[in-house]
Amino acid sequence: MADHNWTACVTSLKGVILDMCGVLYDSGEGGGVPIPGSVEAVKRLKESDLQLRFCTNETQATREKFVAKLQRLGFELSVSEVFSPAPAVVASLRQRQLRPHLLVHDDVLPEFSSVDKTNPNCVVIGDAADKFSYQNLNDAFRVLIGLEKPVLFSMGRGRYYKETDGLKLDVGVYMKALEYACDVEAEVIGKPAPMFFQSVLTDMGIQPHEALMIGDDLVNDVGGAQHAGMKGLQVRTGKYRPSDERHPTVTADGYVDNLAAAVDAILKHRA
Amino acid sequence: MSRRALKAVLVDLSGTLHIEDAAVPGAQDALARLRRAPVSVKFVTNTTKECKRYLLERLQKLNFDIEERELFTSLTAARNLLEQRKVRPLLLVEDSALEDFAGIETADPNAVVIGLAPDHFDYQTLNKAFRLILGGAPLIAIHKARYYKRTDGLALGPGPFVTGLEYATDCQAAVVGKPEKTFFLEALRDLNCFPEEAIMIGDDARDDIGGAQKTGMLGILVKTGKYRAGDEGKIDPQPYLTCENFPQAVDHILQNLISQEVI
Repeated sequence: MADHNWTACVTSLKGVILDMCGVLYDSGEGGGVPIPGSVEAVKRLKESDLQLRFCTNETQATREKFVAKLQRLGFELSVSEVFSPAPAVVASLRQRQLRPHLLVHDDVLPEFSSVDKTNPNCVVIGDAADKFSYQNLNDAFRVLIGLEKPVLFSMGRGRYYKETDGLKLDVGVYMKALEYACDVEAEVIGKPAPMFFQSVLTDMGIQPHEALMIGDDLVNDVGGAQHAGMKGLQVRTGKYRPSDERHPTVTADGYVDNLAAAVDAILKHRA
Repeated sequence: MSRRALKAVLVDLSGTLHIEDAAVPGAQDALARLRRAPVSVKFVTNTTKECKRYLLERLQKLNFDIEERELFTSLTAARNLLEQRKVRPLLLVEDSALEDFAGIETADPNAVVIGLAPDHFDYQTLNKAFRLILGGAPLIAIHKARYYKRTDGLALGPGPFVTGLEYATDCQAAVVGKPEKTFFLEALRDLNCFPEEAIMIGDDARDDIGGAQKTGMLGILVKTGKYRAGDEGKIDPQPYLTCENFPQAVDHILQNLISQEVI
């Protein structure tokens, strides 16, 4: 029944947020392949009266490069519609007048080019991979421990991920290391942090109950969105597993086969 | 006071008796005064980058009167555990500490030992350790100190890296150094005294003082080394006493904790 109930929210809907990897495309060699029907589904959403934004935890590339990849796959989207942790961190830094010390991947550095980094009064870490040396981590530690009130931003909190040559430690491990060293709690920016979803809602100028999140990650996409007051829909593509529909703590407002099916249902119920 | 008479004084090294290659002013004389009192003295340290021989040489060069049997380090405690469990470690310790692991088999590792090893704490090596632990290898931490003091400033200790690996693999490290209870009890073992008859002097509120007091000892925190203002408030119960430095701590012990008739 849950599959039909979620459509009740559709009439009051003003905006839709889409996760990217696993909803729009599957990652793989040569940048990946579009999920069947997704290119067309994005196009139809854009032609509707709904606002549309995209939300990803990618921190090893700038949005420009990431968007260019998706455009090559056939998607119609622009950089200003894509939300990833780095620009969200930049917005927080501006708002709170913070100057960061950065421990991030070289390829994401351009996102921070406009930020004042002199005399840092906070630390931002992302998935820096090979840049996670003792020296670099120690530099970040020294900035934090030298502050009266240490502020640490972490772009995501993942434990590890898989690459062709094996498992690799993710940013969460180094976030935990710095948290322990300095007795601080990091501010996690990116999904599932409510603040991250809120920044997308603010950009659209709508309230949480007027927005719907569609993702393949039950905990980070769906659970995170629900925690921020939005409805959350899970697609049965990407990292979806049947056991997700019996998850002990997170229940999606609805489950749909793929993005195309979700968009069909949304547009039909608004007609 | 229901405490028994003081029988033993445990003293931390780095940050308490010396900071890198400089003695804390007056510390040698203070140690000599302490030795004239009827108490045993033992030196306990989490300084994991140096083997026992090196530590002794440095202390003797700084004119501290210390013998090898009086020194108990977390490296010794780690070695004891490896032998007990009969495992082959990937040793993430500095080359200078390897001497204390001489004779331990390390080929085809099935355990991970983390000490203070800035040269080994790079992304590749930590990934290697991570994959071993994920595959079931036990994680042994020589200690979990957050940071330590170098002449060029504070530097990360092993604790943050151990904590990160624990998070990545959802496991708990076996910690052998301070502030573990077993460490303090091992240090007292050949002195034939109970924790209630001993006192610990150190510059680390949590690892020296908190750890010792949890075993039933008294703790004196000194404001040298890694001490930072307010550290005494970070543990509960607070230190028995907080002193400017090691000589003041010794004076307090001599004046208040030892029967005046015997001095």
